Amino acid sequence: MTAATNLLAFTGLVVTLAIVWRQSWPGRLRLFALQSLLLAALAATLGVLAGRPRLLLLALVFLVVKVVVIPRVLRRIGSGMPVRPVAPGKSSGVALLVAGGLVVVAYVVMLPVTTVTALPTGSAIPLAFAMALIGLFLCVTGRDALGHILGFLVFENGIFELALLATYGLPGIVEAGVFLDVLIIVLIMEGVVGQVRREHESIDEPRLRELRG
Amino acid sequence: MMLVLLLAVPLAGAGALALAGAGAPARGRRLAALHGVVATLTLAAALATAVAVYRAREVTALDGFLRADALSAWMVGLIGLIAALAAAEAPRYVAPAVAARFYALFHLFVFTMLLAVTTDDVGFMWVAVEGTTLASVFLVNFERTRASLEASYKYLLICSVGIAVAFLGTVLVYFANIQLFGDEEYALRWTTLLRLAPDLAPQVVELAFVFLVVGYGTKAGLAPMHTWLPDAHSEAPAPVSALMSGVLLAVGVYAILRFKPVVDLAAGPAFTEHILLGLGLLSMAVAALFLWAGTNFKRMLAYSSVEHIGIACVGLGFGGAWGIAGALLHIANHALAKSALFLLAGRIRAAYGSGDIAAVRGLLSRMPRTGAAFLAVMLALMGLPPFGLFTSEVLIFGAGFRKGAVAEAALGLLLLLVAFGGLLRSTQAMLYGAPADPTPAAAPLAWPVVPVTLALLLLVLTGLAWPPGLGDALEQVAGIVGY
Repeated sequence: MTAATNLLAFTGLVVTLAIVWRQSWPGRLRLFALQSLLLAALAATLGVLAGRPRLLLLALVFLVVKVVVIPRVLRRIGSGMPVRPVAPGKSSGVALLVAGGLVVVAYVVMLPVTTVTALPTGSAIPLAFAMALIGLFLCVTGRDALGHILGFLVFENGIFELALLATYGLPGIVEAGVFLDVLIIVLIMEGVVGQVRREHESIDEPRLRELRG
Repeated sequence: MMLVLLLAVPLAGAGALALAGAGAPARGRRLAALHGVVATLTLAAALATAVAVYRAREVTALDGFLRADALSAWMVGLIGLIAALAAAEAPRYVAPAVAARFYALFHLFVFTMLLAVTTDDVGFMWVAVEGTTLASVFLVNFERTRASLEASYKYLLICSVGIAVAFLGTVLVYFANIQLFGDEEYALRWTTLLRLAPDLAPQVVELAFVFLVVGYGTKAGLAPMHTWLPDAHSEAPAPVSALMSGVLLAVGVYAILRFKPVVDLAAGPAFTEHILLGLGLLSMAVAALFLWAGTNFKRMLAYSSVEHIGIACVGLGFGGAWGIAGALLHIANHALAKSALFLLAGRIRAAYGSGDIAAVRGLLSRMPRTGAAFLAVMLALMGLPPFGLFTSEVLIFGAGFRKGAVAEAALGLLLLLVAFGGLLRSTQAMLYGAPADPTPAAAPLAWPVVPVTLALLLLVLTGLAWPPGLGDALEQVAGIVGY
């Protein structure tokens, strides 16, 4: 069980790093869907190996919400926007370096948790937290609304993975609330971005800088 | 049963208003009347619940899923009161075409706040707190201007990230719990957590508390997570600003307060007190600076909210019965003063057509009644006697000196003074001078005076003579938070 969850969590982190590295929006979106697919697989694996049928249902809901519905909405938000060309001379080197540093930070911060736990999934917990931190980093440094939303979703995925690994899923009513929440946020974001685009005909963040001080 | 009723009233009201608006569009008056009925019923249910809880010490419903103790009751009463004040002012701000949507969202927003403070399940409390963001984001962007759009975008994004951090904290608390006690059905119930708290792993619970403070602190408007607040509070229509500044921030503090006794029992109170004291002082400092630099009076009020939530957190950081009771009383006083000020600010902005402090001159001569009320509530907000904020600030900083935290308490008082100066300068600039347009604004109707007067009266009451039961209620609340 440890091997399986470690492998899935590690692959999830690699995909997260690939999102940082990738510059094109459709590419990042595909990677996000892949990441979500890995998490659904993780939930299903845990459900089978730990004997929790409830997690299979959770995996199914996750599959529908995060692998199918949300990427579709994101594609809708992104459509009409040109595939962002990589600025000449610009690479993701620094961002990747920061992301690598965040993995180390994740291990340090999660020390209290990993020393306490006796769960077979315990060793993968810092990997999940690293995914959350990198998502937060993407969200903060995102250059446009799409970047912010994607970062937020990766962050949310990391937390979901952590909850899976540390607690085998929260009580049903809370999980349901979380899914509903993410879905509504993405839908509201679609509306907001749509309105911004109608008014500014661009969703570049520098335009969103009127309110300051 | 009582709690179910309390939650059912605003929820059913929101539903009814949404349905009523779906039919014929131009029934503004009937919608406003229905809105008034829902707000009045909510107020009645909230006050009745608060009184019943203080008498019985605890009221539960739905097999303990809903549970109100003195701390919940304090918040329920406050939400009911501020919602009623804001609701009375709402019809001035909404065009008939969009009235149904506005009222429905308004009551939905109130419902989510009431739900957050009356559920015993901390996981579900998280869902409800997130619900407050989702319900209010449309209200922030209600005027659909460019600035309000940006404000709502920032609000949604920053608060969603913040609240996700709080979720991480909740997961860790749950983890610490089931790690020791197995998969209990009620492992996320606050009552269960409190019972098991002394045995929880202290390092894990401390880490969880850091995440919880960052997360719910974002909703509470604590610096440095406050960056969304001045935009959202200043761009929202006045009744919504009143609700957000008055009670939504308090709901964020409430969520932190629910976890504080659990962490204190597991790891000792010093940890949580240091964090709250530090963040409180930082918030006061940031707000004091921006109060001097501000140019927009609604933003000024918003920064003042950051300051006052900071003061309340300083009180919680000092701890002890005085500090905690002072903090809760301060939250209530601030809610009354700030919501009244936002309602007045909305009228001033409508009359002058601008939110700039520089554009508002001679308020006292152009709008004598509004100007006088603005001055009176502003003096209350600055913490002058005989108003309640003076009393609660004395309680809070008195607790600091009692505890021996002289340097922190002195720093707090100094920041209070700096903020006072900033507020005074702007208020003075608005009240006096020659108005650019000397014609007095159209004489307002008599009844809009009622909400602001009521808030002022209550502030004098909490400042001068505590009504019977208030002291007892605060003692009960301090007992819950303090442990």
